[in-house]
Amino acid sequence: MVDPPARSPLGSGTGPGGPAAAETLLQSLARRGFPNVVRSVRYHRPRGPFCGLGHCAGCLVRLNGRPNARACRHLVEAGDRVRTENAWPGPRFDLLGALDLLFPRGLDTLHGFRRPAWATRTYHRVVRRLAGYGAAPDPVAGAVPGPAPRGEATDVVVVGAGASGRAAAASLVGHGVRPLVVDRSLGPVDLAGADVVSRTTVTFLPPPRPDGPRPFVLLGFEESGRGVSIRARAVVLATGGYDASLVFEGSDRPGVIAADLAFRLAPDGEQLPFARALVFGGGSRARAVLDRLGPSVAALAAPGDIGPDVVRRASELGVPLYPRSLLVRARGRSRVRSADLRARGRTTRYSVRCDAIVLAHRRLPNSPLLFQAGARMTWRSPPGAYFPETGPDGATSVPGLFVAGSAGGFAEDDRRVSGERAARGAATGEGAREPGAPVPPAAPSELDGYYRELLAERRTGKWVVCPCEDILLEEVEAASRAGFRGIEVVKRYTGLGTGLCQGRYCLPDALLLLSHLEGRPANEVGYITQRPPLVPTPLTALAALANEFGEEAVA
Amino acid sequence: MRRDTYRAVVVGAGIVGLFTAYRLARAGAGPVLVVDRGFLSGGGSGRNGGGVRQQWETRATIRLAREAVADWKRFGAEFGYNVWFRQGGYLFLAESGAELERLRRVHDVVRSEGLGSTMLSEDGVARRVPGIAPGATVGGSFLATDGTLYPFPAVWGVYDAARSLGVEVALGVEARGVVARDGVLQAVVTSAGTVRAPTVVNAAGGWSGEFSRAAGLDVPNVASRHEILATEPVRPFLDPMVVRASDGLYFSQTMRGELVGGVTVPHAPGTGRGVPSSPRFLTGMARALVGLVPRLAGLGVLRAWTGYYDDTPDGLPVIGDDPRLRGFVHADGFGGHGFMLAPAATRRVAAAVLGERSDLDPAEFSPARFLPGRTAPAAERLQLG
Ligand SMILES: Cc1cc2nc3c(=O)[nH]c(=O)nc-3n(C[C@H](O)[C@H](O)[C@H](O)COP(=O)(O)OP(=O)(O)OC[C@H]3O[C@@H](n4cnc5c(N)ncnc54)[C@H](O)[C@@H]3O)c2cc1C
Ligand code: FES
Repeated sequence: MVDPPARSPLGSGTGPGGPAAAETLLQSLARRGFPNVVRSVRYHRPRGPFCGLGHCAGCLVRLNGRPNARACRHLVEAGDRVRTENAWPGPRFDLLGALDLLFPRGLDTLHGFRRPAWATRTYHRVVRRLAGYGAAPDPVAGAVPGPAPRGEATDVVVVGAGASGRAAAASLVGHGVRPLVVDRSLGPVDLAGADVVSRTTVTFLPPPRPDGPRPFVLLGFEESGRGVSIRARAVVLATGGYDASLVFEGSDRPGVIAADLAFRLAPDGEQLPFARALVFGGGSRARAVLDRLGPSVAALAAPGDIGPDVVRRASELGVPLYPRSLLVRARGRSRVRSADLRARGRTTRYSVRCDAIVLAHRRLPNSPLLFQAGARMTWRSPPGAYFPETGPDGATSVPGLFVAGSAGGFAEDDRRVSGERAARGAATGEGAREPGAPVPPAAPSELDGYYRELLAERRTGKWVVCPCEDILLEEVEAASRAGFRGIEVVKRYTGLGTGLCQGRYCLPDALLLLSHLEGRPANEVGYITQRPPLVPTPLTALAALANEFGEEAVA
Repeated sequence: MRRDTYRAVVVGAGIVGLFTAYRLARAGAGPVLVVDRGFLSGGGSGRNGGGVRQQWETRATIRLAREAVADWKRFGAEFGYNVWFRQGGYLFLAESGAELERLRRVHDVVRSEGLGSTMLSEDGVARRVPGIAPGATVGGSFLATDGTLYPFPAVWGVYDAARSLGVEVALGVEARGVVARDGVLQAVVTSAGTVRAPTVVNAAGGWSGEFSRAAGLDVPNVASRHEILATEPVRPFLDPMVVRASDGLYFSQTMRGELVGGVTVPHAPGTGRGVPSSPRFLTGMARALVGLVPRLAGLGVLRAWTGYYDDTPDGLPVIGDDPRLRGFVHADGFGGHGFMLAPAATRRVAAAVLGERSDLDPAEFSPARFLPGRTAPAAERLQLG
């Protein structure tokens, strides 16, 4: 059989003049239009990239025989074999997309497919044929020796080379400490006086073991699949923040993106693969998006009031504003064509023609490593997230573990300063003191009550709360109705949060949704246990590190 | 708690406790209370690998497991939840002639119990484990009717069914001890008050030893920590649960396409009861998996988690009345296989509560086998993870 055209290789991403310098596969694909490279796992709904950070399931391709590779995490190389997967004949037109239309209310795999009993094997066969994203990795001839691991030992390690991480590193140098800086961005990182481990994601930071001069161990991997381990006396986490998702009808459609992606799709200011964006959010992040997108913004809406400088910038650009609005629906199938808004507390609806919706309404701390390390966390709203309890120098409850920048909830203009303070703490103190700084009182968030209003909205199609696993809002409501309470149980009942993003996107929304469904504050709905690794870590990278940990007694 | 007196108090709302309560309610035993200090599925029942096997060394376990397989096949019809019990078989690998011999002895026992297990050559193994490294095994044993299931829907199903029969499940309530007089149970002390009951069932999973000891009973149960991981999902290519007894490696592919499994990692005893993951497990498991099936090298580990086995010295569960305290019923010591056995084992637990005769050979699972001066009549050494 001849390979159908759309399943054939996506190409190496090389343009007419050869590959652009250090371009991600996603950026390369985006130059030919909005990249719809995947279909969703259950219903084969059209999906596109959402985050640009290597967390969502929106840019998966088969890369050099390996399934589920993220196009946004791969720098194009000559000779790459890139294919689309999980769609037949291809993601633009996928016959299995019929599943979405045939089952408008979804498939109930929790109660369904039980009868008749004799059909069990058939059900299993069919469901298994549809499961997973990509096909299993290509067979290999024999044992493949993975790349040799990289092992580092240092005094202070800084995770993240953003504004606060760089400030921390520079300040450590000033204190006479040569820090080791780990950063996962794909571009070069240059920091005078520091050692740099670049293109490396730290995915596991277990609680420190107090014995010995270097109680911390960090595990991670280089983008090449090489395993990395770092031992350190003190750790400064400057892992930053990320833009949250939002639930509404069609929120999983290609073209609904996090602001993070808007900044990463075309980092050097090239033309983005959309021309009329609806920006959602009224704060500083939305302001930054306005600056980046300029004339490509069709309208700006926000769940609450819109900040004065956003209003000023929008009026310069001639962008219409919709303050205090619910984002109710994205229309369009394989691409967003318009958005429905409703004024909060009213019935008036507006429709905005747009080809992208950029979410910039809620920025969350990138905190999984803090959870893993056992730092004490407290709930703060806004933005509705857990933050580490910290002392004035960013010391967490874990001796030797410091946090700087957005990851610690420090204000944006305070990033540098927080980095410097954490550096001072890490360089001098052992940090073994109690974090005492009072947590600012939980101010009411404009998202409080947002989901209550949204839940009352009439639904005409699927509301996907967990795009990685195609879990629908109805399933979450059903769990709640059946008496299964708390995020830990609802997560296990519905499967929400167990997909590729490990709940990074759906769980913060779910906490707010469940707070209404269960009638209690979001923080009482629970706590999201953060399981390592933070992002899928290649087995080969971990296997290569086995010698280092093989004899270690396990606490 | 709605009453001050119950026919039975069950400690632990895991699969064993819930199934016991369900069976008692079905038998019309009277008011039943289940207490659990955590959340539903927070214990081993929400942290296991979902494996269901009938290949064991001990006949009593084989029989119990065979009955449980029939129960799991009926589960969907009976409880309304689909556990996706898929009979893809269990494949035990041997790395040496001696191991193959050992598997053959197990195979002989299994066959003599009427189950159709087969011995596989190296090629036979390779056909069922696509991509296995050449020379990694010398053969194995296989039973096609073993399989895997999704644990969670089973917990929800039994929870729903038990509650609709009137069982009261109190979550967030801890059992702290018992009140006894003249060797007879009077009441159970909980964090929400003392409730009177002639029977308490210890279904506390990895914490059963603590509860028995809190009731003044010296038991040999020890909790052992076990870690497990799941990879990112890929289209199913592996049917059986694959097991290697030498290092306790096991893994299977779920209906969603994730590879789920673990390997034995020795844990320092007495280091707390948290559920952290360790670098040693993550890296060791990765090495074992990639060594056996090299094509998995590039696959990502999605998440790892941890739970506790409730181990006994002879590797067999403890089911029935404690001879030292009338009314104290054990449903514990299930090690790494309490989930699969629960539907069948709890018939005997319920029978013990109701004072009925049970068909179980009392010697093998009896709590009395650990009393001073006794020796356990059998031992199950085919353990994993
Ligand atoms: C990693 C791992 C893999 C496994 N793989 C398999 C497998 O493939 N197949 C299989 O069959 N089994 C497997 N098991 C074993 C299986 O999970 C257990 O045997 C089974 O779940 C035990 O069920 P349970 O109801 O007895 O205990 P649990 O599910 O642990 O429930 C006990 C409950 O008791 C509660 N509790 C404890 N003490 C108290 C107290 N004092 N007061 C109130 N509540 C209390 C706890 O909160 C808990 O919810 C595995 C276990 C682990 C850890
Ligand atoms: S866009 Fe690549 S992972 Fe989200």
